[in-house]
Formats: sequence, structure tokens, C-alpha cells
Amino acid sequence: MNPAVEVDRFSWTYPLAASPAVCDITLTIPAGEFTLIAGPNESGKTTLAMAIKGLIPHSFPGRQAGVVRVFGEEVRRKEAAILAKQVGYVFSDPEAQFTSLTVEEEILFGLENIGVPESEIAHRIRHASELTMISDLLDKPPYDISGGQKQRVAIASVLAMDPEILILDEPTSMVDPLGKDLIVGICAELRRRRRLTLIVIEHNLEAFAALADRVILIRAGRIERAAPPREFFEDPEVLERSGVYPPQVTQVFARLRAHGLYRGALPLTDEEGIRAGDALLRGAGA
Amino acid sequence: MVPVDSPFYRYHPVTRLALLVFLSVTPLFVDMPEINLGLILAALVLLRWGRVRMQQIRRYLPLLATVALFMFGVAFLAPGDRARLAPFRLAGLTFYFQPMWWAFVSYCRLVAMLFGAILYFSTNRERDTLVALRSLRIPFAVSYVAALSLRSAGMFMEDFRTIREAEQARGLDLESMSVGEKAKLYTMYTVPLFAVALRRADEISNALFARGYTLSGRPAGGGPRTDYLRRRYPVERRDWTLSAGLAAMFVVAIVLGKVMGVFSDQLSPLHGVALRAIGLR
Amino acid sequence: MTLVRVEDATFSYPDGTRALDGVTLEIARGEFVALIGQNGSGKTTLSKCLAGLLRPTRGRVVVDGIDTASKGVTRNLVRRIGYVFQNPDHQLFNARVYDEIGYGPRNLGVPEAERDAIIREVAAVTGLHPDLFGEHPFFLSKGLRQRVAIAATLATRPQVIVVDEPTTGQDYRQSIDVMDFLVRLRVERGHTIVIVTHEMPIVAAYAERVVALRGGRILMDGAAREVFSRPDVLAETFVKPPQVTRLAHAWGRNGVRSDALTVDELVDALRAALAARDGPAAGRLEAGAGHPPRGAGDV
Repeated sequence: MNPAVEVDRFSWTYPLAASPAVCDITLTIPAGEFTLIAGPNESGKTTLAMAIKGLIPHSFPGRQAGVVRVFGEEVRRKEAAILAKQVGYVFSDPEAQFTSLTVEEEILFGLENIGVPESEIAHRIRHASELTMISDLLDKPPYDISGGQKQRVAIASVLAMDPEILILDEPTSMVDPLGKDLIVGICAELRRRRRLTLIVIEHNLEAFAALADRVILIRAGRIERAAPPREFFEDPEVLERSGVYPPQVTQVFARLRAHGLYRGALPLTDEEGIRAGDALLRGAGA
Repeated sequence: MVPVDSPFYRYHPVTRLALLVFLSVTPLFVDMPEINLGLILAALVLLRWGRVRMQQIRRYLPLLATVALFMFGVAFLAPGDRARLAPFRLAGLTFYFQPMWWAFVSYCRLVAMLFGAILYFSTNRERDTLVALRSLRIPFAVSYVAALSLRSAGMFMEDFRTIREAEQARGLDLESMSVGEKAKLYTMYTVPLFAVALRRADEISNALFARGYTLSGRPAGGGPRTDYLRRRYPVERRDWTLSAGLAAMFVVAIVLGKVMGVFSDQLSPLHGVALRAIGLR
Repeated sequence: MTLVRVEDATFSYPDGTRALDGVTLEIARGEFVALIGQNGSGKTTLSKCLAGLLRPTRGRVVVDGIDTASKGVTRNLVRRIGYVFQNPDHQLFNARVYDEIGYGPRNLGVPEAERDAIIREVAAVTGLHPDLFGEHPFFLSKGLRQRVAIAATLATRPQVIVVDEPTTGQDYRQSIDVMDFLVRLRVERGHTIVIVTHEMPIVAAYAERVVALRGGRILMDGAAREVFSRPDVLAETFVKPPQVTRLAHAWGRNGVRSDALTVDELVDALRAALAARDGPAAGRLEAGAGHPPRGAGDV
């Protein structure tokens, strides 16, 4: 079975740019995996994501070297409509993604574009809106809903198209804390169902670290590190120097470990941290 | 904006659009103020019947007052060739009958058109207009771009407000500026509005690509576009009757008005009344 | 010395929604205040009322003795309180960085020579190299655009600076840069800083005073440590304390000081707790472990 994504020595240079945005990247993402991509701004994360989606090279001019394949076929040779069906993409700005006049129409839009038969439409809308908890908003116009809600509408619109790969590009950066939590919950649920290959680009690693199967650090157009989360966050200080902010709990226990006070695995979440701390403080051995 | 429930919603959007055309375009062919005043009355009655909150109409009063001031003001200050006109005195000022009468006729016409539009936009959401356009077989791309423009306009209003605040935050005191200075300012808005527009256009086109949209609106794999929403607006018999009726009345009005001159302002009873009132008959 | 006074301010939109409902607070010179709360809690509206960009529909806001609702006070206000918007695009009006920074002083009628001096000074403070003066702001990176916006705001020399979402969309390094910069403005140049944000680790690390809003009203107003020690109340406006604070709370029953706001503080608190339990030798503690001053870089 083909891996979901194969990036093979891929480089991309935007027009008028002095150097490539993405430089000689090689990466394979198996189907069904949850990949978290981290790194400083303008390091090439979005360029890579757009190359998987096909926005690069279809919508953006530039120079490509190497190949990006989705389910065995080269992205640059696929039609926009096929790409839309296979790869969903959610952008970071909730405003700019809401192009219709009501929520229902917004979800409908993609479905009609890819030619989903009428008999299936109602079911898909219902399913997608339930998963993203926006069923009660279907009739509302964009100016009546919040940014977080709009972002969930964007996710619903893309999910309704039933893609095999879903890319979320900084989905929570312009969303309030409550909305952030809801979106993280949706990602957790999607991961649980294991029917999608999920790729999330985020700065807010605290929320997503434990969900990911693998975390990738991209800096200056190259992959600096790629590993399952526990391994990835092994030395948080190095990560901080690379422009990434590891979960605070991981940082805390890494420092304790550096002082010789802790010897266990580095926790990634509140729960893991509380347990590790309790054990440590009750003297159950580090 | 639109009432939660309204008898209007029982009618198909195309029918409601036909009402808009009738109420708002007929006045163009009608000079007789009584007819236009009648249309205004009809619009007001329909607004009540449609359960629109009359408070919303109050928003338009300043506009109506301003337009009246403007039109009558011009008629007063620039009546034209005074030698050919009939003067009369009121409150110590000299007015000229023909330009004032014509201002009155035009004003009635304008307000009639306005109320037709007010009625339409108070009883139709953007979605309804879209469905009406699509039912009239307007190409999807056209109606979609129209909808997108509406959506963008909404976004721009927000941005515009923010930009005004930003200007104020840089010491621009809009209140103490003259009209001329404020007019010059409008060019200043273009810089941030363009910046926002360009960036957003970029993002929107990416979003459209990600949803598989092609310019024609035709779905992948060929065939016609499903147009799911339109299914939800059934066309009843009353829609056919009403639309046909409105279309017929519209045609008749144009014929009577422009071709046969039945709605000429000279034939207006009010015209006679006004002339007698100022002693010119 | 109180610089900004909000007296029972209410702000209603034309359609009746109340963004602010009877808010009263005072901001003193040199404070670093964070306004937090969920969407629609009124924090952005309050921040704009502070700067006089919005006028309360009831009550009033007084900045350095000036009522923001008075006529013709815009120029005076702008010399006292500046506002940096979240999206730099909204507030970049000129085709050159140099003109942009000078826009405020120009509106205030500052003569050209003096304006030039101000522009250069403010650019130096915000780390904008004169090479950038001729650039068109639209084409700069987001980080640089923000800095130009900040410089332009500083150019009218306000004492109080209000920043809406200084770190949204920024990466770790950029966030630290902008927050450290705001701290330097306060410490080195005596400015009063007010930020509106929903990033709690930033608030915990940089703000001294936190005002939490809910439904247009003040839910809590106090020192950061105090406010974050009440997660149950914060939950009413859908705000969670930063992870380290949550952990500290959970470990409170194990003898850990529960008011840690940063990674450093929590590590120290843990080491102190372990040392207390095991004796100083067991933890290889260095002497004089206390809380290092917050601010520079330790989020």
C-alpha cells in the first residue's frame, strides 16, 4: 500500500527569492499517521504543506526540484479536482476561508465542486457538522459567528469532502482559547477514528504533542528533526534554540533531569506531568 | 435584519425578486406623484404584513431627509431660466413653481424606488437573492462571484471601521475636519484597504482552490452542478400566479406610462391642487 | 499616579449588544497590565475605550485628566496613549516606512526637522535600520510590519501603550522579542503597557497585573499570581492558567508552592519541595535558589 505522502528530495524556490524556501526535503508519511510539523515562522512549513496539497505548483509560480507524491502519484500531475478530493487543507485565517453566505452553503460548496451526488449531500453535511459541533449553526451567516466557530466550519467543509489526507495549517493561531480546545478535540477524535492521515502545523505544541505519531522540526527549509513525540522532545533546550517552544511540563522535567532529580520519561501532557510529579514528590523514586 | 418568521418566506425568492422589480423599477416610468405615493404606501403595508420591525425603517429617515433637503434646495437655489417660470411667495421667500413641482415629482419617484428596495432587503437574506439568481439560470460563476462580493463587502466594512480607528490612533481628528479635508482623507483609506484586499484575495483564492472550485463552477467529472440549496425552495402555484401578475402589471405600467403618457405629472390631480394653492390657476 | 481612569463605562453597539457593562478600573503609571477573557468578553472594546478610539455610551474614560468623549481631544490623547492593532495592515497608511513612522507627528503638526529626529530615535528604539526607511511596508515580513506599526505608535510619544494581541501568529522567538521589547519600554523608558491577549504563558511571564473580563464586566482584577491562583473563576471566561500553574496547583497537596507562573519558578518550587523532603544534600541544590526575576526570555 502506498504511503500517503512521499516527499523525495523536494526543493521549492519562489520567484524573485534568493534561496529556496524548502531545500532538499525527504519525508515519508504512512497512511493514517498524525504528523505534527513545528518550526519558526517562514521556515518552509507552509510551503511543504502546500506542496502536498498541490497549491504548489498549481497556484503558485516557482522552481521545483524533486518530487512530491500523494498515494503514489505525483502532485504536480494531478488535477485540482482530484487533489481537492484527496487532500483537504484548512488555513489559519478563519475569515478568509468563509466564502459563502451561510454555514450550510459553505459546507455545501466543496461538495458541489467535486460533484457529490445529491442523495449523499445531506448525510455528509450532517456528519461533518456533528463531528465539528456546528450543527446548530447551519443557517447562520458568517457575520453572526465567531472566529473559532468559523474555523470549525472550515474544518467541517473540508471533512465533508471526505479527503484521505487532512492538512491543518496553524488552525488555532487566530482562535480564542475555547475555540482552540474544541479544535484540538476534533483532531483527537479524528485521530481516534484513524481513517485520515492528519498533518498539523502548529506553534502551540502543548495541545498537540501527545496526539501526534511523529513530530517534525523544519528550520530554514530543512528537516532538523523527525521523531515520535517522546523522543522529539528529549532535549527541550536544543529545541528552544531552534525556535520551538516545547510543552512547559516537558521543559520542567527535562530541567529536573538535568539536575539529576528525575530519571523517567519526559511527560508531554498535564496528566502525565501530574503523575510523574506526584511519584517524584512522594519519593517513589525518580 | 430580516424577521425570524414572515409570510414572505412562503414565496419563492424569484417571486420576491419580481416584487422588487415591480416596486422599484415602475417608478422610473411614472411621473404622477399619486401613483408613486401609492407604491410607497403599498411598500409600507407590505412591510407591516411581512412582520418587519418598523424601527429598522427609522434608520433611513436621515437619508430621506438629506435627499429632500438636497433636491428641494437645488430647486430653490437653481431654478433655471426665471423668465419662463411662475414665481410664488412663501414665508417671505420667492420660489418657482415648475422646479419645485419637478423636485416633488422626482422625490416621490426616488422614495418609491427606495422603499421597494428597503422592502426587498428587509425580507430577503443574501441567500435568498442568490437562489433567485440561480433559479433564473444565471451562470453559477456569476451568482457565486456576486455572493462572494457581498461577503467581501461585509468583511471590508469591518476592516474599514478598524482602519478609521487606526487613523484616529494616529492623531487624525475626524470631527474637527472640514468636509473637504475629510474627502481628501478617503484616498488615504485606499492604502490599508488595498493591502487588506490584496492579502485576502490571495487567501480566498487559495481557499477556493482547496475546495476544488473551478471558474466555471462545473463540478469535477462533468455534468451540471447539483445546486442543492435550490431544491429547498419549492415553486408553488401561487409563485407562478404572483410572478406572472407582477410581470404583467409591470409591462402595463410601462406601456401606460411611457407609451401612452397616462402617468404624466401634468395629469396629476395634485398638480392642479398645488397650482390653485399658490394662486396660479 | 493614576493615568487612566475608567468610570463605570458601558459600551453598547447600535443593535443593542453590550460589549462593556459598567466597567471601573484605574491604571497607574508604569504598570504592565494584561486584559484577558474569551471572545466577546469586552477586552478588545475596553482596550479601544482606553485609547479613546471608542467612546463609552455611558460612563467615561479619563486619560491623564482628559475625558476621551470630549470634542477635539484626539491630538491630545494620541500624545498620551497609543494603540497598536493586531493586524499591521490596518494601520500602515504610507508607501514608505519613513513616512509611516512620521505620520502621527505630521498629524500633530510637528515641524519637519523635529519629526526627522523623532523618526530616527523611534526607529532605533524598535530596531528598525534606516535602510528600511524607503521600503514599502506592504512587502515587509509580518514581524517587521509589526515593528513599524509599533514605531509609528511610539512616534507620538504616548506614555501608555496598548497592544492588541502582540504575539498571535508569531513563533516562539518572535513572541519573546516583542514581549521583551515591551518590557524594555517600560523598564528603560518608563512607559505603561497594556496588552490584550489570549496567550496565558505570555501573560503569566510578563504581566504584573491581570484584568479578566466576562460578558462586558470585570471578573477579576489583580496581580497575575493572584488571578492565576483562581482557575475556577478564570474558567468562567474560558481561560486556563498556563500549564506550569496548573501543575503547581495539582502538586500543592504534595507541598509544592502553588503559585508558579513560569518554567523556572516551577522547577525551583519542585526542587525546594524535594529538598525539604530529603534534606539539602539529596537534591544537589545550589545555594540561594530563589525565583529569578521574570521577564527576559523565561516564558
